[in-house]
Amino acid sequence: MRILLFPRTKSVCALLALLFSIAVTAHAAQGDLKLEAQLVVGSNDDKPAPGLKPVAKEIEKKLKHLPLKWQHYYVEAGKKFNVGNNGTKNIALSKSCQISVKNLGDARVELTLASDDKTVGRVTQSLRKGQTLVAGAGDESRIVVLMQQD
Amino acid sequence: MNEEQQLRLQAFLDGELPEREARAVAAWVESDPAAADLLVELKAIRQALAGSEPAVSLPESREFFWSRIARDIEAGERRETAAGPAGFRWQHLLWPIGATALCVAVVLLQNPFATTERPVASIAPDADTPIVEAMQPGSDATTYRNESDGTTLVWFSMTDNSRTKPATATF
Repeated sequence: MRILLFPRTKSVCALLALLFSIAVTAHAAQGDLKLEAQLVVGSNDDKPAPGLKPVAKEIEKKLKHLPLKWQHYYVEAGKKFNVGNNGTKNIALSKSCQISVKNLGDARVELTLASDDKTVGRVTQSLRKGQTLVAGAGDESRIVVLMQQD
Repeated sequence: MNEEQQLRLQAFLDGELPEREARAVAAWVESDPAAADLLVELKAIRQALAGSEPAVSLPESREFFWSRIARDIEAGERRETAAGPAGFRWQHLLWPIGATALCVAVVLLQNPFATTERPVASIAPDADTPIVEAMQPGSDATTYRNESDGTTLVWFSMTDNSRTKPATATF
């Protein structure tokens, strides 16, 4: 009887160990945010500047619903990145545009906008899938678009 | 004569039958020559065996011999009691204890109450309401939110009080 039970106990323990490792992995990945930041140029010209691609249709639709003065939007730079729970990621979207994204947990982020290494402002809000955060400053035609990756 | 009758005759010879039955068998032997012959034969065999059986004598007295066996049995029982259940090994507990520890760890890791610190909830009751801070002196921020799209626009004005014209952020 003991000979039969012992391998069964081992199997159960192996299964528990597997579940444990899955739980640990899931717990570690639970607070991670997969984000995408784009530096977008607004323009009223039908033709984009050389080397620029139009933004995705979904983003364009969202941007056109905002009280901005431009008709067309083009991607100047983009970056996909992960931010762990309570982690912060500093990203330079261009020579003069830097952002810092902090994952506050519960799909909330703190976006800090900097221009030429000077902090311009900070926005804290939820950024669940489908939500988009758009930030700009001054009379620039460039805006930062932050969202979760698909 | 069948086997049952033969066994009955053997029992009669050995004195194992009740008195009434023994009398019936004795009458049967007197009236049946075959039974009488078998009884004679059985008696002869018993006598022959009784004469040739070796006498076995124990090195110690009968009482001492049995008391020694009883002591051995009691000593064995005491050893089993001290060792616990048959086949018990502490190593057998390692797996169940390990499995239990793993279960506890899984429950603790998955317990939502384990992470009581929720800084987000303390920042704003409505998670979708943006909190905006303009960091430059004299600057301001305008917020627009499109609920249907889930889009928030934050625009920071860059008015520099030391200048006569608005400053610009150069993205």
